[in-house]
Amino acid sequence: MSPSAARAFEALEPGDEFPVVTIALDKGFVRNHACAIDMNFGRFTDDEAARGEGLPGQITPGNMTLALLARCLVEWLPGARLTRLGTTFRGLALTGATVKVIGTITEKDEAGRSVECDVWMENPEGDRWVIGTATLSFRP
Amino acid sequence: MSFADIPRSVLGTEYDSMSYPAVTAAELIEYARSLGVTDPIYLDEQAAKQGPHGGLVAFPTYVVKLRGGKMLPPEVAKEMSRDGFDAGKDIEFHAPIRPGDTLTASSTIREIYEKTGRSGSMYFVVFRTQIRNQRDEVVANVDSRLMQRGRKPQEQAR
Repeated sequence: MSPSAARAFEALEPGDEFPVVTIALDKGFVRNHACAIDMNFGRFTDDEAARGEGLPGQITPGNMTLALLARCLVEWLPGARLTRLGTTFRGLALTGATVKVIGTITEKDEAGRSVECDVWMENPEGDRWVIGTATLSFRP
Repeated sequence: MSFADIPRSVLGTEYDSMSYPAVTAAELIEYARSLGVTDPIYLDEQAAKQGPHGGLVAFPTYVVKLRGGKMLPPEVAKEMSRDGFDAGKDIEFHAPIRPGDTLTASSTIREIYEKTGRSGSMYFVVFRTQIRNQRDEVVANVDSRLMQRGRKPQEQAR
């Protein structure tokens, strides 16, 4: 499904797959966002501080990974409104990794003009660090 | 006392309410930009006037920044140890946030439950942060799930 096709609610069908988005969880990118959301704790900003907490290195806040899923959803379905997002954090989202965000449409409500989606973030090994479901609504 | 002994009277009782200074366009833009958002309705006040909201709005997940003053009530917090972690969030998005809005975050405990897996007991606490604006409209309900591994018997005996 191309991004332009995603604009039309009528063209969407359960089973549609969105274009995969690749995101580099660079240390500076994560640090800047952690500061923007007032979560500038060592584990999210600095490798050494994170190791001091027993972590393998700087990690990405769950609040950032869920926001990146949301970013992909609204980019995939421009003009739609995100009305619900449910996420489960399954693993440490280590900085320095380049992750993929993958999503599909699982249900379509013709009368309510909304779609349900599965969306997840996986690392290069294919481990799903964050999984989620979302509802997006379209204007009549 | 163990995690399982937390009094269920905490359920549904508001334990925190925090009001924030008026939201500024600059902080909404900073949030969106730091996430790599490119849609101008979240980044450009002039361009956003032509958008569906008639002006700049917060990127939806901005609400996770509004975590209130106290994550948990004391009777729950004291049972959480360092190995507890954020297991996920469920968010309902309602009214959009605009510059100038004054927001209040109120928190309640929604659920406390136990699951048993291969690695033993796990306890979950779900707390809801409800965010309302100055018109008392619900902006979002953010349900956060904290997971705590069950203590080993020798730890409970201490």
